[in-house]
This record gives sequence, C-alpha cells and structure tokens, in this order.
Amino acid sequence: MQVFGRQADQIAQFGLTAALVMLLVFAVAWVGLDRSSYGTGQRLARLQPIPFSHAHHAGEDGIDCRYCHGAVETSSSAGLPATEICMTCHSQLFADAPVLEPVRQSFASGKPIVWERVHDLPDFVYFNHAAHVNNGVGCVSCHGRIDEMPTLYQAAPLTMQWCLDCHRDPGPQLRPEDEITSMTWTPTGERRKFGEQMIAHYHVRTDHMTDCYVCHR
Amino acid sequence: MSVTGSARGTLRGRLETAAPARFWQVLEEVSAEGGFSHRFSAEFPEIAERLSGAVDRRTTLKLMGAALLSAGLAGCKPSKGIAPYVDQPEFTVPGKPRFYATSLVLDGYAIGVLGETHEGRPTKLEGNPAHPGSLGGTDAIVQTAVYTLYSADRSRYVRRGGQPATWGAFQAEMAELRDTYVSRGGAGLGVLIGAETSPTLARQLDALQAEMPALAVYRHSATTPRNPAVVPVYRFDRADVIVSLDADFLAEGPGRLAHARQFSDSRRVRREAAKMSRLYALEGVPSLTGVAADVRRKIRPGALDEAVSEIAAALESGAPAGDKFIAWLVADLGAAASRAVFVPPLDASLYVEATALALNQRFGAVGDRVIYIASPEIAGAPLETLVTDAESGRLEQLVILGPDVLHTAPGDLDITGALQRLARVYHHGLHVDRTARLAHWHVPAAHDLESWSDGRAYEGSASILQPLIAPLYGGVTKHQVLAALAGDFTSSAQELVRGTWPSLNDEAWFEALKSGLIEGSAAAATAPPAATSVAPATAVDGATDAVDVVLRPDPYFSDGTHAANLFLAELPRPLTKIVWGNTAEMSPDTAARLGVAQDDVVELSANGRTVVLPVFIHPGMPEGVIAVALGFGREIEGSAPIGVNAFVLARRDGGGVLSEVTVQKLDAKEHVVTTQHHHSMEGRDIVRELPLAAFPPERNEPAQPTLYPEYENPEEAWGMSIDLNACIGCMACVAACQVENNSPVVGREEVARGHEMHWLRVDRYYAGDGDDQRTLFQPVPCMQCEDAPCEVVCPVNATVHTADGINAQVYNRCVGTRYCSQNCPYKVRRFNFFAYQDFAEDNPLSLLMNPDVSVRERGVMEKCTYCVQRTRAAQIEANITDSPITDGSVMTACQQACPSRAITFGNLKDRSSAVAREKGEPHAYALLEELNTKPRTTYLARIRNAPDSEEDDGE
Repeated sequence: MQVFGRQADQIAQFGLTAALVMLLVFAVAWVGLDRSSYGTGQRLARLQPIPFSHAHHAGEDGIDCRYCHGAVETSSSAGLPATEICMTCHSQLFADAPVLEPVRQSFASGKPIVWERVHDLPDFVYFNHAAHVNNGVGCVSCHGRIDEMPTLYQAAPLTMQWCLDCHRDPGPQLRPEDEITSMTWTPTGERRKFGEQMIAHYHVRTDHMTDCYVCHR
Repeated sequence: MSVTGSARGTLRGRLETAAPARFWQVLEEVSAEGGFSHRFSAEFPEIAERLSGAVDRRTTLKLMGAALLSAGLAGCKPSKGIAPYVDQPEFTVPGKPRFYATSLVLDGYAIGVLGETHEGRPTKLEGNPAHPGSLGGTDAIVQTAVYTLYSADRSRYVRRGGQPATWGAFQAEMAELRDTYVSRGGAGLGVLIGAETSPTLARQLDALQAEMPALAVYRHSATTPRNPAVVPVYRFDRADVIVSLDADFLAEGPGRLAHARQFSDSRRVRREAAKMSRLYALEGVPSLTGVAADVRRKIRPGALDEAVSEIAAALESGAPAGDKFIAWLVADLGAAASRAVFVPPLDASLYVEATALALNQRFGAVGDRVIYIASPEIAGAPLETLVTDAESGRLEQLVILGPDVLHTAPGDLDITGALQRLARVYHHGLHVDRTARLAHWHVPAAHDLESWSDGRAYEGSASILQPLIAPLYGGVTKHQVLAALAGDFTSSAQELVRGTWPSLNDEAWFEALKSGLIEGSAAAATAPPAATSVAPATAVDGATDAVDVVLRPDPYFSDGTHAANLFLAELPRPLTKIVWGNTAEMSPDTAARLGVAQDDVVELSANGRTVVLPVFIHPGMPEGVIAVALGFGREIEGSAPIGVNAFVLARRDGGGVLSEVTVQKLDAKEHVVTTQHHHSMEGRDIVRELPLAAFPPERNEPAQPTLYPEYENPEEAWGMSIDLNACIGCMACVAACQVENNSPVVGREEVARGHEMHWLRVDRYYAGDGDDQRTLFQPVPCMQCEDAPCEVVCPVNATVHTADGINAQVYNRCVGTRYCSQNCPYKVRRFNFFAYQDFAEDNPLSLLMNPDVSVRERGVMEKCTYCVQRTRAAQIEANITDSPITDGSVMTACQQACPSRAITFGNLKDRSSAVAREKGEPHAYALLEELNTKPRTTYLARIRNAPDSEEDDGE
C-alpha cells in the first residue's frame, strides 16, 4: 500500500522551508519591533493630568528649563517642579482657569500631581543629568525641540545603541556652557574641530566612556 | 554529616594521627572525615542532590513551551506615574542623598550614626566620627537597624486586651491611672525600664517620683544585669600590655567600638614603627577578644576567681609560678616602662572587680589607661524585687517601657505569674512579643530612627536622637508614654526632649543636632570605687565529668532585642559561622565523652527546666563546657521564632555559668547551618601570620609572564588593602555590604545549600593543633584581579574590566552560565538561584533599597564591585568640578563600617595614597599569588606578639 502520496515530499519540504522562513520573519520582526518607535516609545505622547504645554512655557514664554527642573545641574535627576513652583505664577496668572484645577487642588490638599512618565530608562541604567549638562551636552540633544512640543513626547529612541553613538564620539554633541538650555543653538565653523575644542574645554574623559560601569551598576 | 556517637572516638583518633595542618577551617578538614569531603569536591554540592529525580522529555518540552510563551509578556510598556513634591523641602535635591546625625540606643547606650536618606527614607547608617561611642565605626547591629525600621512585623497599632484601640484612648487610660495614684503618692504603681541612659527619661522619672514618691522604678537588662554606680572607661591605645580577665571588651559592652579602634591603633605594625601592644587573655568560652590575644589561657568558665587570684599572687611575689602565661606576664610587668591595664568582664564577680582595680592602681593605670566615672545609667530595682512586690500586693499596676521580660527573665523567676497578678500591665515596645500579648494595653514604640530622644555614650557624652523619618507604624516614644502618665498630653516628642536641655540655646541645640553630640557633656572622672577585700570563690571542682553550661548573649540578637531582624539571623556568627539558630557548642572531647556528634539533638536540663538544641562541635571550647547563645526563640507576632529560648535555663542569682547540667541525647537530628565550609579554597596558604620578631619579612615576588592583555588605567586604579592584624572578625563589614548593595536574605534552607548572597565573607581559620589552637579571621571580598580568570570564560561578555581596574559584572547582560564562578579561584561570586527579593511596591522593605544599586533578579551572577556606585559618584563629581578625587574621599561600605579601620581603599596610581603605602609594607601579600591573577585586593599579614614568637615556627 502507498502510504505517502506523490506530493508528500514536496509538502514536507515546503513545510520545513515555511517553518524556517517563519522563524526568520518572526525573529526579524521581534528585533525590528523592539527597536522601532513602537518598542521604544519614541514620539509617543502621553495624556497628562493637566494639558501642560512645554511649547507655551519654554517656547512662547521663554522660561528657562532650570526654573522648573532645578536639580539638573547638581543631581542625577533633573527634578520635577513641585506644585509650589507652578503656583508661583499661577496664583496670579490664570488663577481660576478650569484646566489648572488639579494644580490648585494639589496645593490645597498637599497631595502631589501624578504625572505620566515620558522618558523612562530601565532600572539598571543610572543616567546622570548633572554629569551631562555640566560637560557640554545640551538639553535638546536628548529631549529634542521641547519648545515645539505642545504635548511632551520622547524625541530620541533612548536605546543603548543611541546612548553609545554619543559615548563613542561625544564631540559633535558638545556646546558651550551658556548654550546648554538653548533649543536653537548651532555651532559656527567646522563641527568636528569645534567638538574637539569642547572635549578639551570640559576635560571629557573619552577613554572609558563605554565602560559598562559608567551607566550600569 | 553522619558520625555516630560510637564513631566519635575514632574521630578523635583520626585528629591525633592526622598530619599537622598549619591553618584549617573546619574540623573535618584535619580529620578527613568522610561525610564532609563532598563539600570540598563540588562547588554546589546541594544542587546535584536536589536534581535527583530525572526530568522526562515531555515535561521538559512543556516547560520550554511555557517559557517561550511567557517571554512575550515582557514586551508591554506600561505607563508609570511620577509624583513630584507639593512643597519641596529646603535643600532637598531629588536624587541626592542627605545625611543626618543621630544615635542608636543599644543596650541603653548611644552609638552615634550618620543616617543616609534618599528623599526622606533612611537607607544606610554610617558611624559618626565625632561621636565617642562610634569614632566612625559601626557593628552589625547598627548596620542592619534600618531593616528593623521597615520590617513589617513591627507593632502597628495600639491594643487594649488584644483589640485595636487608639493612642487617645491610651492617653485617657493614663489620665485615669494618674488620678488614681497621685493621691496615693504612687504606692502600687511601677515603671519597668531596660538599660537606659536617656537624660530625658531620667528627668521624666524624677518628675514623676517627685509627684508620686512611692512610685517604683524597676530595671531589667539581661545583657548587663548589674548596674554598678561607678564604671570604668578604658584607653587601650595608651597601654602596651593589656590583660583581659575573661573580658570580651572588643565585642561586648557600650564601649566596644571605641575599644576596637583604640586596640587596633595600638597594633598597626608598619615599616617605620614596628611595635605593637601585647594582649594577654584569660578566656572561658571563645570570644573575639581571645582571638585577638597574643597570649591566651583557657580557663574553666566558673573558675575565673581562682585564675585571677593565681595571677595576683604571682604578680605580688614577683615569682613566675605555674604556666607560661603567668611567667610571661610577670616578666612583662616587671619591666619598668610597661604600661599595663587589667580589664574585668562586665559581669565580674566582686573579687575579680576588686582585684582588677587593685592591680590597675598598682601598675599606675588608673587615671591614664582607665578612669572611673559615675554610671550614666538610670538605676532601678531588679526584676526579683518586681516579682516579690507583685506577689505581696505592693505593686498593682505596671508600665513596661521596652524589655520583653517574659522572654528574658531567668527560668526560675515566675514573671508570668507575677504579671498576671497585677490589675493592669501597660506595655510599650517595637514588637508584639510575649510581654505585649500578656499586657492589658500595648502601645507601638517608635524606632530610634523615628524618635526624638537622647542618650549617653559609654563615657558619658550625651547626644540627641532626631527622627530621620516620621513614624511608619504610628509608634510613639517612651517619653510620650511617660508624659501621658505625668498628665502632659500635648507636648510633642521633640518638645519633651528639648525641655531636658534648657541650657542649650537654639544655636547650640541645632549645633548638637548637626554634629550628633552635645559638646562637653562627657562625664568627669570620679574616684574609683572603694577598695573592698573579697575572698575569691573556689570553683566547684567535685565531679570531673560534670558538664557546665555557659549562657551568653548572642553577638547579634543580644538578649533577643534584635531577634526579629532577618539580616542578623542570616549573618554568620563571628566564631562559629552559624546562621539561623542557636546550638549547644562543645569541644570534640566533650562531645566524645557525652557520646554525641554534630547535628545530634540533645536535651539540656538543670533544676527541672530543659531546652532542646542541636549539637555543634566547636574546637575552641574548653573541656566539659557547653555554650548556648541567648536571645533566640523570641516569640514575635508576625514572624516565626528563630532558634530556642535558653533563658529558661538561666538562674535569678545571675552569672551565666550553670553547673551540674544533665545532657541527654535525643533520637533526632537537626542540621546546624554554618557557612564556613562554603566557598572553600581547599587549604592553600591563604591566611598568613608572622611573629613580631620576624618583622619585616622578606618580600619575594618574582614577576610571572602572563597571556592576558595589558590594561591601562588612565585616571584611577582602585585598590584595597586589608590589615589582618587590625581585623577583629566582628562582621560589621559583611552587614554593611549587604545593606549598601541590596543583597537579599535567602533563608535557612538556601544557606544550607550554600546560596547565601553576602558579597563579602569573613573566613575563620584555626592554626595549630585541634585543642589549643589559635583563630584567625580573613575578610574576603572580590579581589578585582587585573588578570581575572572569570572574565575570559564568560560567553556573553557580562563580566568585563573597566578603565579604573574594577572587574565589572553587568547584570542585564548575564545569562547565568556560572562559568565565571567556577573559574574564580577566590570563590567570591554569588548566584541568584531564586527571586530572593521581588518587592511589591506596598512591601515596606522596598523602601530599604539603595536606589544607586540595581536589585538583581533571578538567574544572574553578582559580586563585590568595590561599591562602584560610590566610586562613580566621586568620578562624576570630579568630572563636573574638574578637580581630582582626593585620597580618602571615597570609602567602600565595608571600609566605612569597620570599627578597627582594618580596610584601606583608594587610588593606586596616586603613589602617596594611604592604600599605596599599605601595599608597600613588607608584610603585604596577595591571595594565591602563584596564580598570577594580580589581585587589586591585598592583605597585610597578621602579626603575633607573643614572648615566645622567636621560637615559633611561623612564617
């Protein structure tokens, strides 16, 4: 008796090949998705409890980043403004605007405003804001054009690959001290040469910037 | 191991016939006992035992499929809330720790600490260098105090008759109590305190007694039962001959941290100053002071009076009589320039105390090496008086501030019956213990880190306790309880303490808070106690086959005060390395005589009271003596008791020695978990000791060729040096490492399998023969090899070298092959076999975590990093300010915790750094130098200063 049909061989071969191809597609899709904006959360705007606009505050009003994120030059964390900081202006300006009700409530009740986190690094990454802004890395390098974001989103992928791009070659990202918070500064002259000047100026220790312990502990 | 009683004799025989080992860790190493050898032959012997059942193919496939499916679940990215302050406290910078000076009160005495807080939660305590009780050092109890602070088994609410009540209701009850007793002058009312030095408590009690003159104050402390009016304060750094009369001054008593520092400072042998003090020690049961001694004489624990009178007589006549110990001592003290000091134990008999004082006076120590001060402690009637008062009806109602008397009362005192007779018992304490459950009212206490209080150090200096965090579980201070009794219901805890110090103006008050010490508050020297003539007690020396039992407080649990602290439960005991329980410790000879072996369960009975304990063979024990640790078996609601309560054997007439104890072997086995044989390095020449006369030794380090690539250290090259001569083996470093680096507690069963997660261990070695051996300690952190064997075998590059020479472990890259651990010659890598800590956000222990260190998950290898979070913080600071890192500004957690300053850490590229100097000393050596791993951690050999050291065959 004939157990296998005429095409059994072809079917088996096709099946095996298809399985292999599927596996490959699956793997590529996995890695691709993980690194895509879907996986990294890049350009994903989150709904906040208050429709706070960086475009308005940092862009139109021209408030310096450090007015609200005061710890950025001294600490690992840039810091989020306490409700009190909001109220320094908003006890006078738009003092009864309905959108600011959560701010007033927080100030009255002492309960914090719980914002949605936009820039979230994994727990095993120890990023230090002070180390960067004091050594010539501008806010815009990682956070993008904050002054043009009505709703905040993550401008960079924040993947390790992206971190390393700069840690391997920091020069092009460095700028003078007084331009750190500027959103529009561009270097004049040759970029690479200027970067080397900046590395020398800030005494950036480029030799071990890719050591694991620089970020992971 | 399985040694039967009858085989014990042969173990003894094998010990005698075995080739003499220079250094050994466990008895079985010398005796080549069969049951233990498998521990040395396999790194993880218990895993093989657990995988005995074969897993079939179907199950394997099923599990693999399930694992694949669940991998997809990790892909989701949920949103997370982020909450800023509403009103940010001044000077608070998110992400930056702040340090506050406060004190912990241990056994009544203050130890000054600097508490590290992250956004308001204390995570780590360091010693306060300005505080005389700490001098910058800490011990294991101080290091792990933050665990107790957060621990969920603390008492959480006021109880009346076991039912939830409120603090207001308790205050109302106190008001009623006050109404009843003020009119009667306090007759019938009593307050029971533990050992206390708090000036605020003293002021409150004085005020209460002024109002109610008949108010009775009782004091009960199981660790320091006696409370003499005048106490000695020692200055060991001024002595060159120290004679310990069975005093464990390095590990016990309120001055222990200062003693450790002074003692080790007198023993730092360096090229330019090759001299050190000499410590003579009489020793009943093995102690850390005995280990540190240059000359040691074992005595029968009950026979201290006899031994001391022998010494006193020999010193009187000047004739060296008896053994070498006395002969050498007489010769040493005969030398004109010798500066000797005699140290009696805390619970000394009157004779020993009087003799020590007489000898100190004779050798001119009083006023220099020892001064006497009025005891800073608050006096009170002993517990026996409380029981008789309760029985006679003189005491009707009792307020208990702290001590768990039902746990710590001696077994022949019917404290339960006495308390049950009382109309009302009010209890204030951290835990719902037996006393709390028997009491009619219970009020949760605030932890020292949540409290406003004050306390005095061993030499009388006062310091203020300020809270680092608001009470987590609604605790109140003992001052608030007494204030309620005094009719003050409105004063805050802070006001009660501030009221004690009217002499401090605001500026001085804030200065005292900032520095952690009230300037100039040390006690003035008083005249030593009047000389008394007491005859020495003669030891009961009738039946030679009698067994004595020595009861002594556990080095970590103390009298049980810290028995709920699991960090301490899992910290190996300094001498025995036992974890998670107490045992009947005895020498091999005693065990042979009793016909018992390791892990046998025995019943010890004295006067009709019994305890059941497993046997632990401890080679340093004297013959015919069994040592049992107190403080175990405390019954606290919410946690299972650890070990067995041995207070039931204790007698009311004090003294920790019980004679005529019957020992009966039961038909049971209980595995005693000890960590000493874990991570063994198989008896290579690891710990080194040399006699002082042989100093400086010749260094012989031929450079060996290597196949490893050259590493360059452009800026820093971190290195560590550990002085074995300064190390007293107290384990503060291990506890500090665990708290700093978020290392988990794994539990008794896991430790038994060798899975403990301490990155740093302190190895204990014995030198000499089995009976009268010396003990040596050696802390072993990661050696941070320059040519590291672990790095080359990692298949995923998870362990790599950094530019500053640290052997980095990258947790997020590690896949858990454990090849690195297998290839590590020092066995300093630890593997997370299970998710030992998986903290839900509502678990209070998640607040304990150091935010600067990753919490490792299951399946990754981890290891000592030289506290990379601290070195990185210093490097970032240096990067920002463009200034170099100064020597000594970066300290590792172990180094900072060490009370005897045995660990030096710093930058080796800086030739003038302290660590570079230490490594240049002639007695510096590296572990397993012959492997050419070029360790960054090196040691300074221990140096023994015995008079016979010339003839010693030591290296």
